[in-house]
Amino acid sequence: MRRLLLIFLSLFLTLSCAEEQDFDQFDDLAIEPTVATSIFYFESDEQTINTVGVGEFYEELFTFEAFSDPNISERVLDGVITYQLENTTSKPLGLLIEFLDETGMVLDSESFIVDEEPTATLERQVAYGEGGKSMDILRNTTNIRVSGENFGDATSQSPQNEPRIILRSSAAFRLRLR
Amino acid sequence: MSKAVLFLWTVLLGMVISHAQNKQLLYDFYEIPQSLMLNPGVKTPYKWHAGFPLLSGSSLQGGTSGITVNDLFANDGIDFNTKFRDQVVNGLRKNDEFGGSVALELFHIGFRNPNRPNDYISFGMYGEGFISQFWPEDLSVLAFEGNANNLNRRFSLNHIATQGEAVNVFHFGINRKLNNKWTVGARGKIYSSIFEFKSANNKGYFVTTQGENNILRNTLVADVTLRTSGVQEIIDVLEEDAGDTQADLAKLLLRRSLLGGNLGLGFDVGFTHTFAKNSYFTASLLDVGLIYHTNAVKNYTLNGAASNEGIEIILPEDLSNFNSEIWEELIDDIEAQVPFDNNERSYITLRPVKLNASIRYNFGEPRKRKENCECLPMEKLQELNLDYVNALGGQLFMINRARGPQAALTAFYQRRFGNILALKTTYTIDKYTFSNVGLGLNLQAGPINFYLLADNLLGYSNIPNSHYASLQFGFNIISWNGN
Repeated sequence: MRRLLLIFLSLFLTLSCAEEQDFDQFDDLAIEPTVATSIFYFESDEQTINTVGVGEFYEELFTFEAFSDPNISERVLDGVITYQLENTTSKPLGLLIEFLDETGMVLDSESFIVDEEPTATLERQVAYGEGGKSMDILRNTTNIRVSGENFGDATSQSPQNEPRIILRSSAAFRLRLR
Repeated sequence: MSKAVLFLWTVLLGMVISHAQNKQLLYDFYEIPQSLMLNPGVKTPYKWHAGFPLLSGSSLQGGTSGITVNDLFANDGIDFNTKFRDQVVNGLRKNDEFGGSVALELFHIGFRNPNRPNDYISFGMYGEGFISQFWPEDLSVLAFEGNANNLNRRFSLNHIATQGEAVNVFHFGINRKLNNKWTVGARGKIYSSIFEFKSANNKGYFVTTQGENNILRNTLVADVTLRTSGVQEIIDVLEEDAGDTQADLAKLLLRRSLLGGNLGLGFDVGFTHTFAKNSYFTASLLDVGLIYHTNAVKNYTLNGAASNEGIEIILPEDLSNFNSEIWEELIDDIEAQVPFDNNERSYITLRPVKLNASIRYNFGEPRKRKENCECLPMEKLQELNLDYVNALGGQLFMINRARGPQAALTAFYQRRFGNILALKTTYTIDKYTFSNVGLGLNLQAGPINFYLLADNLLGYSNIPNSHYASLQFGFNIISWNGN
């Protein structure tokens, strides 16, 4: 019986082998998804702009900690913010987006001026990271200030249905999860 | 379609998603007393048996479907990220599974009832555990690629399916030979659950679409539950900042395994039916039961629906009542709409029911013994059903798991060499492999019985390239009926 056991074990051990494996390869694994989300949406009808009058018709500061959240700020590699500006009012308008840190210092800004209707939708893509603006702008942004300016008059009314200015924005960022 | 054809289709479809925890080498290998645990109605040619404590039955199984260690880690010079993307992210599907199981008999004793010699009584205690993780196909794509280039793709939360447990089982069974055609058996079980976790039948999705107002709209619809019992207690012990973590963990596991955990009841039934000379059919249903989880329960839920297009400022509505904490408000709204909660509600889990069945044909008679041989006489061997030289047959295994029933089909050949040695070889197809050849060896040295059963032997030629491996072994002392 001992002989049988030895034969069995010998066969088992002789047949058992393993191709060379390199488990250190796992260290090379990079998981870097690109996540996309809308950031903010601004809309004002022409009546409101006319009511405020010529010059700055709106300014508001609000907290925005999407980029400074450690889950994002410590993992973000690069990204693009896309803005779309649409104006169907009868006056040229300007919008200013400012990125501020927690001390209130302006880190960066994006300024838009758009002609009165009829005008095409303005689209701008701003790159961050390699070849673009510094990622630190976004990492340190805790507030956003949005201001709008009326460069036209305060009486004209666009012939378009429900005339308004609309700013749309979204972000697509590459995150390093591993 | 006839019932037979329908049944065959069910089995064949089941094989595509077949499973581990199949002990096809041990099933109906009735020279080994542990075969009673797979069919309480198996033939029992013993007067009594006693397993060596802690050594009578040990088994280890592990399997992956869809990928092997070699697919990823072979030293082949291919960029690891390329292999990972091709083999894992784009290669694995939601029904691909990583699973493993382990079982250890603490003791197992059986004896023939002196008052009713046709009854064989057995009892014992064993611990077993398993883990089964299905590949979360959609979520892996989301994690690897993100949503930016997957607009309008619904990432299903149904792909989250995981299950695992460790349980200690006390059992008592009776095997009765009714006549020369029928042997039946039943076994009662008390389960002492050490820990358990399960997340299955989840619903919901995450999708990014074009926004109604803004550029993009992210939508999450979730009905996801993870039930756990005993897990938090173990985590608490492991995380405690003390020097006696190991001792505390051992104490906790011992308490929970000796009826201090969550308790349950169940049973096994089975039979052997001889339907022609040397031909018989067997079947068993194992672990029909439940465990009621009442202590150390912690369940996690993610339930609700939310859509998000970012912060919205709409004039003139927001001129007078603007909230500068609009970002926090948005986050709070989403968390309120899809709350991640936990609770300690008791729950019941059904045991993973297993079905075994086999059809077997014995043929060939042993050579006549020498006069001075201490072997059993031929008449006695015939009575014990140990008179065969060869046996040929097929087996079916099914188990109810997180994604429904899974199956495996086995063809086997068994050969006895006198009273000393019996070999069983199997060919099994299941979800892990279509080339699973197993070999079982049962040695009888006087009263000492030793068995060693190993699966997927072809995989041992390159173990990292194997989808499945299993090993079972044990020692018993057996007194045969004829002695």
